[in-house]
Amino acid sequence: MQIIISNSSKEPIYEQITNQIKSLILAGELQEGTAIPSMRNLAKDLQISVITTKRAYEELEKAGFIYSIVGKGSFVAEQNLEVIREKKLKVIEEQLSAVIANSREIGLSLDELKELLKILYEE
Amino acid sequence: MENVVELKNVTKRFKGFSVNHINLQVKRGFVTGFIGANGAGKSTTIKTMMNLLRPDAGEVKLFGLDYKTHEKEIKQRIGFVYDGNIFFEGLNLKDIKRIVAPAYKRWDDTIFYQYVEQFELPLNKAIKTFSKGMQMKASLAIALSHQAELIIMDEPTAGLDPIFRRELLDLLQELMVDGNRTIFFSTHITTDLDRIADYIAFIQKGELVFNQSIHDVAENYALVKGELNLLDRDTEKAFVHVHRASTGFEALTDNIKAAKNIFGDTVIIERASLEDIMYYFKGGIHHA
Amino acid sequence: MLNLIKRDVILQKRQLLLFIPFILVFILLGAPPVLIFLVASIFIPFNTYAYDEKVETNILLNSLPYTRTEIIASRYLGAIVYMILSIGVTSLALLAFNKHFTVSDIAIGSGLFLLFAALTFPLFQIFKQGYITTVILISFILLTWISRPIALYMNEHLTTIIDFVDNTSVTVLYTGATFFIMLIYIISWGITHSIYQRKVF
Repeated sequence: MQIIISNSSKEPIYEQITNQIKSLILAGELQEGTAIPSMRNLAKDLQISVITTKRAYEELEKAGFIYSIVGKGSFVAEQNLEVIREKKLKVIEEQLSAVIANSREIGLSLDELKELLKILYEE
Repeated sequence: MENVVELKNVTKRFKGFSVNHINLQVKRGFVTGFIGANGAGKSTTIKTMMNLLRPDAGEVKLFGLDYKTHEKEIKQRIGFVYDGNIFFEGLNLKDIKRIVAPAYKRWDDTIFYQYVEQFELPLNKAIKTFSKGMQMKASLAIALSHQAELIIMDEPTAGLDPIFRRELLDLLQELMVDGNRTIFFSTHITTDLDRIADYIAFIQKGELVFNQSIHDVAENYALVKGELNLLDRDTEKAFVHVHRASTGFEALTDNIKAAKNIFGDTVIIERASLEDIMYYFKGGIHHA
Repeated sequence: MLNLIKRDVILQKRQLLLFIPFILVFILLGAPPVLIFLVASIFIPFNTYAYDEKVETNILLNSLPYTRTEIIASRYLGAIVYMILSIGVTSLALLAFNKHFTVSDIAIGSGLFLLFAALTFPLFQIFKQGYITTVILISFILLTWISRPIALYMNEHLTTIIDFVDNTSVTVLYTGATFFIMLIYIISWGITHSIYQRKVF
């Protein structure tokens, strides 16, 4: 399991961990039922405090991405990928609507917006 | 039992110095970093935990036990590392081990020699010929060889070079993989804590300012920067201390939400490092 | 607690090598056996104190799983244990050199040692660390200073004392002295104990 932590990022470290594990699960790289490292081992490997990985795992559990069995460790939970995709799409739609509204305010055309999106997407 | 160490209302007065009403809990399985300026009361608090001094008032409990009735049981479960060598200077490590080992029921020679090898410590040279780093390693090897549940360290990194400091942090992190170990250590080098501390206890002028998880510290404390004209008697209440310069002000808040409500987008709010927090508290607490 | 007493041997390996020649010098100089027994008994316990005067040693001992009661007890019991051992070794050395000595030499030598230990041990706790050599010196001088008027008094009343000693049986005299010394030793132990309990390291 590859996780890269940035100490200079504005995003708190526990969020960096949850987001990366989430994407690994959503991308299918971590399959359902796979054991993930214990939070203490992960803390050691990432050279961060235990409480940070603990918080990351708690958030992942709350969101239903992983589950823990006392004495055995944590595992990737069963994912209803369709539902998650649907949810994500909805969020994206909302965000794009906001972008469009903002663009209209300053008179940015659709082509210009597409161009901007293209540049950012390929960055 | 969640708390390995529990200090309740601990007060100890000396001539010209005192620690007052310290309430401090150290949580099992985590690393608590104990910060404060020199002379703030860190060593006195640690000595209270080790029963090297008895408080004038208050209660001290380790593993839920009282020193009055369970002193030996408690100390069997503690490994200690102090700032500076406390072992007989003229003796070599082998002889020191011979003196210390029989005191512990669960002493394990195999573990001890493993650390001696890992730390590259000479067994037959007098301790007084050791460098500061080697003395620290020797103390650590002894502290870790009797399956202690609680490791108490007073300024273990003081006077050590950066490379060895990192090695020490690596080692402590390895110890934490076993969830039963608890580490409590004092330091005034706050960067040591950024990496491994789960909880931060901060002492200032003999009083405990806070004992919070690193997340709570990050969510409560922040630096606020803005123009001087934003400051007045009311808005200043959001701050622990304000530093004024002709170019603007910089202040520490212990309530990010309140600061956001008051100032909105007119100021810059940034993460406060432990050093920032210590520095601003030194200026004194402004509001009641 | 036995560990605490055994610790002295490890601590003083090198000094112990000096022990035998040290005693031999006294024997060869033809010092009275009482003095040899006294000096031999003092050797180990007071060497230990030279170590224990250091703050670090007290921090170490008190951080290990020992109680303060045990630490002080080990000093008082250790002094007796090492006194007995020293007397044994010294007796052998005297025998080897064909020097004559009596049981009362041993009794008086150890009695004097225990008295000296009883008087100085509490002083170590009262005075600041680093002054202990001075304390020993001063108490030595003090003892000689006190013993002078006592000696004068004894001279004046010599006849009465001799009469008293003559009239009392040897057994009673020895038992009385033993009890007296034991009492002083135990009182001293109690005082040191209560001072040590309240110490801050």
